[in-house]
Amino acid sequence: MASKDKWTGQKGSFGDVELPVARSYPARAARNKMLLAGAALVAFALGAVVFDELVGRGALASNGPLSSDHAAFEGDCANCHDPELREASDERCSVCHEKFGDELGVYNFAAHYIYRSDDFRRLVPDEHEVACFTCHLEHEGRDAPITRVDDVRCDSCHFGSFRDEHPEFDFVAERIPDSDAVGFAHIHHVREVMKRQALEDVEKSCLYCHNAQPDGKSFEPIAFDRHCDSCHLTATISTPGLPIQTDGAEPGVLTLEQITAARGPGARWAYFTDPNEYRRRGSLLVKGPVHHRDPWVLENLRRLRGLLHPDAGLADLLRTSADAQPHQVRALYSEAIATLEDQALGLRGRPEREIQAELGAIDALLERLKKEIEKPFASLDEAAFLLALGSRDASLSAEQAAAIEALVSELTTPCRQCHRVEQATIVRVETDQRTLRRAEFDHRAHILQARCLDCHSRIPILEGLGSEDKPAAQVDNASIQNLPAIATCRQCHTPKLASDRCVTCHLFHPNKSRRSELLLYLDEAP
Amino acid sequence: MALASIRLRSSSRAGKGKWIFAALVALALAAYLVVGELWESAPGSDLSLTFGWAAAAVLVAVAALSARKRTMKLASRLGLGRSQAWLSVHIYGGGLFVVLVLLHSDFGLPDGWVTGWLLGLSLWTVAGGFLGRMLQRWIPRLMTSGLATEVIYERIPELVEEVRSRAATVAGSGSVEIQDFYARSMAKDIEAPRRRWIFFFDITGGVRERLRAVRYLRGKLSETEAGKLDELESLYRTKFEIDAHYTLQQTLRGWLWLHVPTSILLLVFLGLHLWGVLRY
Repeated sequence: MASKDKWTGQKGSFGDVELPVARSYPARAARNKMLLAGAALVAFALGAVVFDELVGRGALASNGPLSSDHAAFEGDCANCHDPELREASDERCSVCHEKFGDELGVYNFAAHYIYRSDDFRRLVPDEHEVACFTCHLEHEGRDAPITRVDDVRCDSCHFGSFRDEHPEFDFVAERIPDSDAVGFAHIHHVREVMKRQALEDVEKSCLYCHNAQPDGKSFEPIAFDRHCDSCHLTATISTPGLPIQTDGAEPGVLTLEQITAARGPGARWAYFTDPNEYRRRGSLLVKGPVHHRDPWVLENLRRLRGLLHPDAGLADLLRTSADAQPHQVRALYSEAIATLEDQALGLRGRPEREIQAELGAIDALLERLKKEIEKPFASLDEAAFLLALGSRDASLSAEQAAAIEALVSELTTPCRQCHRVEQATIVRVETDQRTLRRAEFDHRAHILQARCLDCHSRIPILEGLGSEDKPAAQVDNASIQNLPAIATCRQCHTPKLASDRCVTCHLFHPNKSRRSELLLYLDEAP
Repeated sequence: MALASIRLRSSSRAGKGKWIFAALVALALAAYLVVGELWESAPGSDLSLTFGWAAAAVLVAVAALSARKRTMKLASRLGLGRSQAWLSVHIYGGGLFVVLVLLHSDFGLPDGWVTGWLLGLSLWTVAGGFLGRMLQRWIPRLMTSGLATEVIYERIPELVEEVRSRAATVAGSGSVEIQDFYARSMAKDIEAPRRRWIFFFDITGGVRERLRAVRYLRGKLSETEAGKLDELESLYRTKFEIDAHYTLQQTLRGWLWLHVPTSILLLVFLGLHLWGVLRY
């Protein structure tokens, strides 16, 4: 280091060429420039946002493009957001969608209770109401499916995961039997169908009766005319000889002539039926062939039921019993109204003035009733059909009642080959084959992965095909729910295979087809 | 002994920070994988939001280093920890932040303008930070590997001017050959601080090769003139060392331009994002 005097005013020197040491430590260049640069970037970015808000379309503030469904509304935030640009409001959703908060509650939280049950009595206001955007997240890009709702929305009230916590189906967990209003053994029928249709593939015999609906999701109701007629109630089927009603105390059936002469309500069919189907054998009458829903059988059955239960009331207007599922109650009323309309039609040919005068009032009443029951909120109670059948005519002796019941049994001999008869009424058949009323199941989506009998295996159809023996009733009868437990679904519906999200099977909002229908009644809803 | 113990303690802290960082990253990845396996971890899910909030908190903690640097005395008085600890939080926190951001976005590209910039700035800023960390470890070693002189960056213009002035004086007092040689081969290199990329690969800057002509010229000069030429050579070598410092120290400071302004913008975009999330 050089001496201090060589570098006047310096503290010394350093290096090979004796550069001067600084007199004081040099101040480090301020980093303010970097902060200023950062501030400039921030100012530019915020300026762009503000400019876009004021002059542009507000796209910069947007958290992403709207989904394809809503893309047309992207130009103006106020289409969905309120003027203060807070969250999207339900009212703005309902500009295009059905009225949120309407009395029918199509999009209400409570609406998801009713599901596809059509039981609108369950539609009650709910404190858990949430905004549309809670589940339907927007600004997730054009291709974002906004109806694909995250399971976490359901988990807050329901169970956690499908894999571990989804409850077993009701019909498995509670062993709820299927309707046995029709005595039916699958194995026997599959054998017969395969034989008659010369089928090799057993599952084609399933489809012989279970005809897919156009969308392939579910199946059309079984119809006698399409599926049973070729084997059942053929031309050779007749009733046994039935005693004809006389003036005596013994119960009997009315002949065609007696029904025609009585000109009672709902007997127009008597003018159009073939009289050759009614053959007298002494004091007995044989009806053959017997048709499905044979009006003569039903008319006599109704009359005999009236002897046992004179106060049957509304039940007397039904062709079959009033045992209906909650979602079918509307059908009971429709059937009763149809019967009344038919009876009114029968009265139109009557010349009596008083009858003609009454017909106008009856027509008006029927018209009003038809509109009333179409309203989702109509108070429909199946009890109205059931109460009167609970009590018998007290004036009948036990012998008289037994004689009437015996005649009912004789009269319905051809019917009872398949149907159950109770209280002189043919028990209602549930034609709707859909069992899962709170979930969607798409048969078409599954048929390529699994055959019918892979899942519907509770009735041992494949095993039964190997022999001609009649299977035991306990392994093959109509009350067996031939549906799998939830474990079968879990074989494929896992996080890594087919979707196991809630919305895969469950709809939060009621059936969309129903939704459109509801619009018709928005203004008339109470 | 005391210095050694400080170094040991410091390296032990850095090691601990590394393990904490590794544990937190492993925890986040495990949560992402397990929840993704059992349920889902798409953007918008609870887990994704948790990652988002955690990332925001980590970013704020990471950015606190800047505030700590500007309030050294206050931080020291309040006992807010050693700078080394804050730096560890800054470095490892930055790594954790970018992991959490990627998990938050489910490794996808965001759709929104703000979120897109947020992700881009996050990656840019953290990448810039890691580049700086690498430079901070590499360049000091590079400088100590071959430079005899140490200079303070802020003094470089002053020192270069000193070298230039002395070289001009020496050359001016020399023979015509020396003046001609200086003007032709040295003056341009000496006149101002100069960045040379070669210093990243050869810390001498190839000065030996450049001075080959000096050796040739020395043989043709008298002893007195040769002494002046040697002095010029020393000044020329010193100028190259100063240029090495200039280049390397500027790089050591310059990377912050990639990091600091964008990190400020990143914080603002985070604020915009949070505002949007909480408001809408």
